Amino acid sequence: MDPVWWEYIPYILQGAIWTFTLVGGGLALGFAIGVPVAMGQKYGPTWLKAVLDAYVWFFRGTPLVVLLFLFYWGVFPVLLGIKLDALTTSIIVLGLRSGAYQSQIFRGALNSVDEGQMLAARALGMTKWQAITNIILPQALRIAIPGWTNEYAIILKDSAICFTLGVIEILTRTRYVVISTGEALGPFLFAGILYIIFTYGGTKVFNIIYEKYHIPGLVGKGV
Amino acid sequence: MGRGSEMVGDEIVLRVENIHKRYKDQEVLKGVTFEVRRGETKVIAGPSGAGKSTLLRCINLLTKPDKGRVWLEGVELTDPETNINKMRQKIGFVFQEFNLFHHLTALENVMIGLTKVKKLPKDVARKKAEEALLTVHITEDLWHKYPAQLSGGQKQRVAIARALAMDPVIILYDEPTSALDPQLVGEVLRVMEELARKGVTGLVVTHEIGFALEVADEILFMYGGRILERGPPREVVFSPKHEVTRKFFENITKLYGGK
Repeated sequence: MDPVWWEYIPYILQGAIWTFTLVGGGLALGFAIGVPVAMGQKYGPTWLKAVLDAYVWFFRGTPLVVLLFLFYWGVFPVLLGIKLDALTTSIIVLGLRSGAYQSQIFRGALNSVDEGQMLAARALGMTKWQAITNIILPQALRIAIPGWTNEYAIILKDSAICFTLGVIEILTRTRYVVISTGEALGPFLFAGILYIIFTYGGTKVFNIIYEKYHIPGLVGKGV
Repeated sequence: MGRGSEMVGDEIVLRVENIHKRYKDQEVLKGVTFEVRRGETKVIAGPSGAGKSTLLRCINLLTKPDKGRVWLEGVELTDPETNINKMRQKIGFVFQEFNLFHHLTALENVMIGLTKVKKLPKDVARKKAEEALLTVHITEDLWHKYPAQLSGGQKQRVAIARALAMDPVIILYDEPTSALDPQLVGEVLRVMEELARKGVTGLVVTHEIGFALEVADEILFMYGGRILERGPPREVVFSPKHEVTRKFFENITKLYGGK
């Protein structure tokens, strides 16, 4: 007798490790890219702004699946001559793409810090850099948390697309189960519910972080 | 006569010479020259659009003047060779809108300039900050409140403490009570007056005629980007040389109920 699909639930659940590797890696890389890009767009010279704008437009304007194929078969092996595995490629692509989106979250947050903060910091004798790191950024990062929570939910769901490169995350494993058991409804529904739980749970965690670092009177409350 | 006058020495700490500033097609400052002596409190008055705030910002170069020079204790701030960040530490600046750092408590607001700019050790900075806060009558129960949890008057006094803690050569006040509810103006003016009497040098843009009459050693009346007239407060307010000056103070006395 063929095995029934729910016997594979532990196998699907193990995919969560891969999913969260993709999400965690993508978010972290996106953060490391997004913050400096936002700072460059706000405070940098004109030529730098143009370069960063181009980066943002490229990664926001291209479907994720195209980016994955482009980097996995094109940019890394052909252009750069390096062979990267599917997981690493996926994390880099998710990170580059999330960086483009995150930069816009942080840029909005930087813009919402009022001009007077910079003036007061400079009047104290801070350099522009000191003012940004000590005064503007700590406020902007707090303001950005709600928008950033949204980015987590997006990248979590986008990570499923990495099945196209064969990363054995939740969706890839679910498809294996569907193929080997011949049942589609149960496994896909299970995978869908799994994503809902992770989206909801993660959003809750970020809300707790937001409350913990929330400062009275600082705008940015949302979500 | 200004009550701070007994503290005033002969030493000029701030010299402003022939400052010009133009925004697009509007000439905001058309050559302003004056000086401030140590311990002196000088009030700049004049109608809005006279260039008062621009003038203050040209002094610490938050705004770059097009022409003219500024010296603080003999060092030319307008010299491109001068490290302006170093010099700004010596110039306190109090904004109309307070501009306290939203993410820091009252105490941290006062400390941050000491730790990050003056690089003082934390405990030393803390002690200095506490002293400054007590000087402006911000008591311990308010030290760990965030700006949004303070009243306007408390915010502005914290802002004054933030400037004061840096041991500035001079404090520039840019309409420090204009954004306050009327019942909160008094507590801020009182602190400013106390500082003036202690000999803290101040340059104050304000419409508070009472303060000017009680505390200032001199009033500079600005009109159309120039100092139209200057002199002892009573003279400028009650027997000005120019008709515009007379009209201005007449209106403002009605408005603010000056003493």
